[in-house]
This record gives sequence, C-alpha cells and structure tokens, in this order.
Amino acid sequence: MTARARLGVPDLGVGVGLRVPHYGHVLREQPAVDFFEVISENFLVEGGKPRYHLARVLESYRVVPHGVSLGIAGPEPLDREYLKRLKRLLAEVKPPWLSDHFCWSGAGGAHVHDLLPIPYTKQAIERVVERAREVQDFLELRFALENTSSYLSYEASTFSEWAFISEIAERADIGLLLDVNNVYVSAYNHGFDPFEFIEQVPHERVVQIHLAGHTNLGAYIIDTHRGSVIDPVWDLYRRTIELTGSVSTLIEWDDEIPSFDVLMAETEKARAVRDRTLSGAPLEPVPRGVPTQTDASSEHEHGWRQGGPREIADGAAAK
Amino acid sequence: MTRLEDEDRANEPNELDRILLFFAEQLGKRRALPKDAALSERARGVVCASGRLSPVERLEIYREQFWLRHTASLVEDFPGLSGILGQGPWQTLIEGYLDAYPPRSFTLRDLGLDLPEYVAAQHWLPEHALCRDMARLELAYLEIFDAPDAVPLDAARLAEIPEEAWQNARIALHPALRLLAVDYPVATLRQQLLLAQTSGEEVPIPAPAPEYLLLYRHDLSMFHQQLSAGAHALLEALTRRVPLVAACEQAQAKIPGEATAIAENIGPWFQSWTARGFITGVEV
Repeated sequence: MTARARLGVPDLGVGVGLRVPHYGHVLREQPAVDFFEVISENFLVEGGKPRYHLARVLESYRVVPHGVSLGIAGPEPLDREYLKRLKRLLAEVKPPWLSDHFCWSGAGGAHVHDLLPIPYTKQAIERVVERAREVQDFLELRFALENTSSYLSYEASTFSEWAFISEIAERADIGLLLDVNNVYVSAYNHGFDPFEFIEQVPHERVVQIHLAGHTNLGAYIIDTHRGSVIDPVWDLYRRTIELTGSVSTLIEWDDEIPSFDVLMAETEKARAVRDRTLSGAPLEPVPRGVPTQTDASSEHEHGWRQGGPREIADGAAAK
Repeated sequence: MTRLEDEDRANEPNELDRILLFFAEQLGKRRALPKDAALSERARGVVCASGRLSPVERLEIYREQFWLRHTASLVEDFPGLSGILGQGPWQTLIEGYLDAYPPRSFTLRDLGLDLPEYVAAQHWLPEHALCRDMARLELAYLEIFDAPDAVPLDAARLAEIPEEAWQNARIALHPALRLLAVDYPVATLRQQLLLAQTSGEEVPIPAPAPEYLLLYRHDLSMFHQQLSAGAHALLEALTRRVPLVAACEQAQAKIPGEATAIAENIGPWFQSWTARGFITGVEV
C-alpha cells in the first residue's frame, strides 16, 4: 500500500493512547513508543499541567490528537468555537492527521459527553458528509472518523454500519479510523459478522487502527477500554492488516489503567501480529460469524468515561 | 397553509432529528427507563430489539452511562464537597444539579462551573454554609489548575521603577491565582478528606473559623496560603486593576483595623509576592 493510497498519511507504527497516570513514566523513561495519541479536549486549555506535559511529550514523540466532542451528526450545527480551539492545538502539535467519531453527542444545547449512535439513513449521510468536509477544510488537515461501539440500533436505519461509514468516507474524502475492538463490540451487540464489516470498508482510506479491551456483561459488551485485547479482536486485526497493508495502530486503555509496561507488552503483540501479517506468512484460519459470549463477567459497575481520565487537579498537591 | 404555518413546518425537526431528540430526552431521566411502560412502547418504534435486550433496555444503557459519567466527573472535581456530604445527600445534590444545569460544554472540565451557585441555593443541605465554602474552594482549584501560564516579574525590574511611578502603577497578577474569603477552614478540611480516602479515618466537621485564602499554582502544583484580611483586600483590589496607591487606600478603608499594618507591610508583601511569582507585570 503506497503513501498516496493512504491519503498521504504516513504509517507511524504502533502507538499508545497517552493517559495521565503515565505522564511521569513517559517523560522520565522515554519508552520506545512509535507515537502517542492524545484526547484533544484534554489539551484545549490555556496552561498548567496539560499544556506542560504535551509540550514535553512533543519534544520526543509524534502525537496525534483524537477528539471525543465534535458530535458530527448531532441536530445542532458544528461548534465553531471548539473547532477554532482545536485548530490552535493542531498548530502546536503539527500532527499528520486528526480524528473524531461517527456519532452525535447531544441535542437541544446539551452535551452528554458520549459517543451516541447515528441512525444509518440517507439523511444522516448527507449531514455527516457535509460537516466532515467542512471540518477537514477548516482544519486544513486530513480528518478521519472512527466507527464507535454501540449498544442500540434504530428501526429507521436503511444501511449497514459499514456501508454508512464507507459512503461518508468516500463522498467527504476523509480517512477512516478503524477501531477493530469497536467492530467486535458492535457485532456482538447487534449480531453481525465483524469480518464482513472489516472486509467491506474502503481499505485505502483506513489511516489508523484502534485496539482495546472491553467488558462483556453477557447481554451486551461495553467498550470500557479495560483489560487486554481479546483473541477474537487480534484475529480481526490480522485480517484488517491483511486488507489495508501497514497502518498506524494504537493501543487504548482507559479503565483500571495498568503500568506502562503492560501497555508496551500490548504494543509489542500488535507489532508482532502486524509484522507477521505484512510478511505474507500463511495465516491460520479463524472462525467467522457473529461473536458469541467468550469472556462474560459478572461486572456491572462500568462507569467508563469516553476519552479516559481527565487531566484534573491532584488534590494531594493542593497544600 | 398560511405563511406562519409554513415557517412552523420549516422549523420542525426532520426525521433524523426527531429520533435524536427522542433519544436525548431519555438520557437525563432519573428513573430507570424500563419502568416506564409508555416509554417502553414508544421505544419499540425507534430502537431495534437485540436477541438479548428490549429496545428500552438498550436505551437504558445510555441513560445509566449518562449518570455514571457525570457523577464520577463531579466526584473527581469536588472531593471535599462529596466527602462532607456522604453518598446519599451528595447523590441527591448532583441529580438536582444536573437537572438544573444540564451539561452544555464540550468538555467535562466545565461540568461543575455552576455547582457553587447551585449549592448556595440548596438550604436543605447538611452543613450548608460549609458546603457552600467548599464548593467555591474546589471550583477555584479547578480554575487555577489549567489557567494560562505567565512569566513572573523579575525582582530586578521592581527596583528599576521610579518612586513617583508607583502612585498610578497597575499590578498584573498571575492568572493562576484566586482569592477567597470563607467562613470555614475548608482548605485544611479538604486535605484531611483527601487523606481519609485512603486511611479511612473519620474527619470531624470543623467549627466556623473565617479565613482569607490565596490559592495559586506553582511548579504545576496547587497551593493555598492564609492571608490577613488586609493583604486579601489589597490583592483583591489589584485583581480589579486598581492602581497601587488607590488599592492600598481601598484596602485600608475596607479593613480599617489593619490600616496601619497594610501601610507597614506593603513593601515586604510585594517582595514576597514577587519572589513567589504572583506578580507578572507592573504598568507604570
């Protein structure tokens, strides 16, 4: 896959979502991470720890901002002030692309800080295409949207999720951030074959891949970004790489965040899968079809927060 | 059809937005959605059932997350207030707050901006005056945490300012600095409550003890310092960009019992404030 086919976006290798508990380790130890992804909203502030840490990380690493608040499909127009602040951040970070989600995040002036699922309709396609173009033009940077995990689907939907996001990506000329774990979660929750999703999207538009753990509650899976990537998701990742070629891949971990070494082990696993797949070595056949309950737990307190822990005051420092 | 009817129709939400608005309407509800039979029926027309969950149960996942996410965020931002109140009253307070002030900002950082105002109006709260002070303190900490950075004034620059220029000098204070007058020793209490989160020790509710506080950020960490009433009044006037001499006069008029102390201490105060980076500029 050539750089041209990848929308001019480079393969940055295997990265990690940078989270507050790891700032100290990253700045001190300078681990061999290919790139970091940061939650854009955490850095749309004027000063203090967030900006300091971002500046230090930028001295040594490539950083890609990933937004959680655009709500591109919502009833209200795009938030101009948010986009202006984002553009100022981009001027500082100078990333090769930036991303947000196929979702909406509120209505009637409220912002619910969630990645709410979109009805897969023609009307929604028109809206997201227009706004995605607008965002990409305004920010003057390759823009990508990520497929989300969802827990409901709509009677009004007339497209599959993969057909919906593919049409938007093509018509708006944007990139796709393919979250392979989200594909698996939604496949479990809605009863489709995740391989069909992976195989049907326009592979030349995939500019980044996300991998993460999740929490299987039996009746549904919730995208907690907790725990290691499960084997069926690794299988999906392998198939994705087979179809896309080398694409920047990122490990996300937002709940019960472990030591950085554990994340590094996940990145090494991703790298091994990626390298082996790209080498053309024969791949073992994997079972296809609708995911079944493979890792159910009895957990129910799943207060996850999109975007992970926010950069807030450490009360112990307030003396 | 009249022109007004035409306009009404144009302003009506389209099919897509009708679905989104229906969804959004359910998220802030306090009661579990599956308990509402009429809603369960309505949800069937909008949301598909899965093999394991009914449409309304699928909507409920999002409603539950709305509350978990926002209450967790407020606990994180207001550990002192939630510590004073304990689980029951805190939950009631936050449910009422999110009803009265639904989140509107793109960032969770702004979620608690109106909480001090809301707390001030909640006279049913146990230890109401203490809660009010704690909410104000914790919002101030949130504000200084990511307030703009600024370069402190070089002490040598102060010495260069001619004597006569001080009359109308306006002092620029660091943006990550807040002044607070409270009736309870809330800064100390907050520290005790935070320590108690790990030690599990009971923290007694303190007696009223009025304090003047300066909250500031230094080397990325946040601190508080107790001030005299006079120093607080002077800094407060300076934050309003009142020229130095007039600020001193205002402080002396406001705290007449410390008029002499203000006059005597202004030099040492400025040296100390400059050394600690509170002053970022002097306009003469």
